Amino acid sequence: MKIVQTALAKAGSRGAQRILGWASVAGLTVAGVLALFVVPPDATQGDVARLLYVHVPSAWLAFGSFGVVFLASIAYLRTKRTRWDRVAVSSAEIGVLFCVLTIVLGSLWGRPVWGTWWTWDPRLTTTAVLLLIYIGYLTLRRVSESPTRRAHWSAVIGIVGFVDVPITHESVTWWRSLHQGPTVLQLGTPTIAPSMLATLMFSLVVFTVVYGYLMAVRMRVGRLEDRASSTVVSSPAPRTRAPRPVASVGTPGGGDDA
Amino acid sequence: MHDVGYIIAGYAATAVGIVGYRWRLAARSRRATSLIRAAAGRRAAGTSR
Repeated sequence: MKIVQTALAKAGSRGAQRILGWASVAGLTVAGVLALFVVPPDATQGDVARLLYVHVPSAWLAFGSFGVVFLASIAYLRTKRTRWDRVAVSSAEIGVLFCVLTIVLGSLWGRPVWGTWWTWDPRLTTTAVLLLIYIGYLTLRRVSESPTRRAHWSAVIGIVGFVDVPITHESVTWWRSLHQGPTVLQLGTPTIAPSMLATLMFSLVVFTVVYGYLMAVRMRVGRLEDRASSTVVSSPAPRTRAPRPVASVGTPGGGDDA
Repeated sequence: MHDVGYIIAGYAATAVGIVGYRWRLAARSRRATSLIRAAAGRRAAGTSR
């Protein structure tokens, strides 16, 4: 727990954020060039399989983000520290973004390969349910008035909602599915060409760096928004028009216990 | 050739998603900072009276 807190503090510094930001830009550029111009097209699907290098990392990032929500929610319920709630909500926001991207990219891939934008396939359906769970998580944070209750119930949803992640991942092996089965994470050797596998692995690393960058920025914004909310509550009534209050899905107490 | 449209749309959607979210975070940061500054200014004005 101590190591995670130190890592979060270091990633939150402005210098580290700048490095992560530039690493993300450089990494995404290189990954884009490799995926679009260097790697050969798929033997059966042709060029459209190049969507693999953004679809799979997006899904990986969505699952990973929700995994962080799960762990941070457990940490919050055990310690009641604001920081863990902030980690959870930051990761949930990023997870929702990448879950939407996963579905959009899958749809764009499915149209030329399956002949349809959407089908009620187990993998697609469980992914849509996953998205709805975490949209519900973020919505709950907006409607709940008590910050402590909001953090408590968000943590409960963050833990229970994670159950859908392994179900989504295993859906292609548990049920008959139109979606292809695992090609990388399977027993024995992966059934993917080495150059494609290397590019996919590189994209996964780059997307993980992007996640680290977005998390660092989102955590900083969360701290600012919490400070703004507590400042508005404690400051005297304005004589002139003040800026619009921050619409935050922020953390309880408004304090920064970082 | 038809596939190119799907590929461009996919990569563009990814870029728009990431850049759009980063832009939104920057806007939220600016709004929170201006609110903190305004409150600090009000507090300073209140104590000087």
